[in-house]
Amino acid sequence: MAAAALTSQLNALVSNMFAMGLLDDQFQQLQMLQDSTAPDFVSEVVTLFCDDGERIICELARQQEKPNVDFDRVDSYVHQLKGSSASVGAQKVKNTCIQFREFCQQRSRDGCLKTLDLVRTEFYDLRNKFQAMLQLEQQIQACYPKH
Amino acid sequence: MARKMIRVLLVDDEEINRVVARAALKAAGGGGDVLDEAENGAVAVQRVRDAVAAAAPYDLVLMDKQMPVMDGHEATRRIRDMGVTTPIVAVSSDGLPADVEAFITAGADDFTSKPLSKEKLGIILAKFRLT
Repeated sequence: MAAAALTSQLNALVSNMFAMGLLDDQFQQLQMLQDSTAPDFVSEVVTLFCDDGERIICELARQQEKPNVDFDRVDSYVHQLKGSSASVGAQKVKNTCIQFREFCQQRSRDGCLKTLDLVRTEFYDLRNKFQAMLQLEQQIQACYPKH
Repeated sequence: MARKMIRVLLVDDEEINRVVARAALKAAGGGGDVLDEAENGAVAVQRVRDAVAAAAPYDLVLMDKQMPVMDGHEATRRIRDMGVTTPIVAVSSDGLPADVEAFITAGADDFTSKPLSKEKLGIILAKFRLT
């Protein structure tokens, strides 16, 4: 009973993430790549994204505090975040990274600052939802003790 | 249907991309493939050199563009300068014509966009008769 309720909650959460445009097809691709030989595959990729994203966003904030912003360096970090967003299916974060890169290429400090705020908000929102998703998955697994 | 086992070198500095590519390759029917990984172009060039020396060359190289130490373009050039004809497929999220052309000029055989998927790998394997 508990497993069914938790599964229902998990499905609702993930559906909502798709509906809000937070996730795209790539996340479904990851779910399809998960199987009995790689039962934690999605969790592994999600965790890598969350860890990478945290690190990159901190670094971006640090770079933008400098009196002379190195836009090429900022662009390189945003490129990394865009790449890992694409790998996990984080559509909204990925699209904001695309905008961010345009501001880097324009050497627009204001544009970069505003987009950093936006990508930070979107990333942490997504990370919170991913963490909730992983917690629900763990709770569901706990309902089925291994033999 | 299982296909023949192949040796693949995956070159990408981001672990998340390597994790996804590994799974996609396995799903494309390569449960028994030998998959080596390199985190930058310089390591990739060394792996290719070592594989040739061991008479166990790679069947396919999947090469990222932007990497520290040595990027994908330079690594591709150096691999070709060694006389290695292994198919090299550039894998990048920057799919602009100029990026693709730069990779082809460096000696890559094809280009595909990130992230890798079972379908994209299936197309690549078929193209280079690795199925």
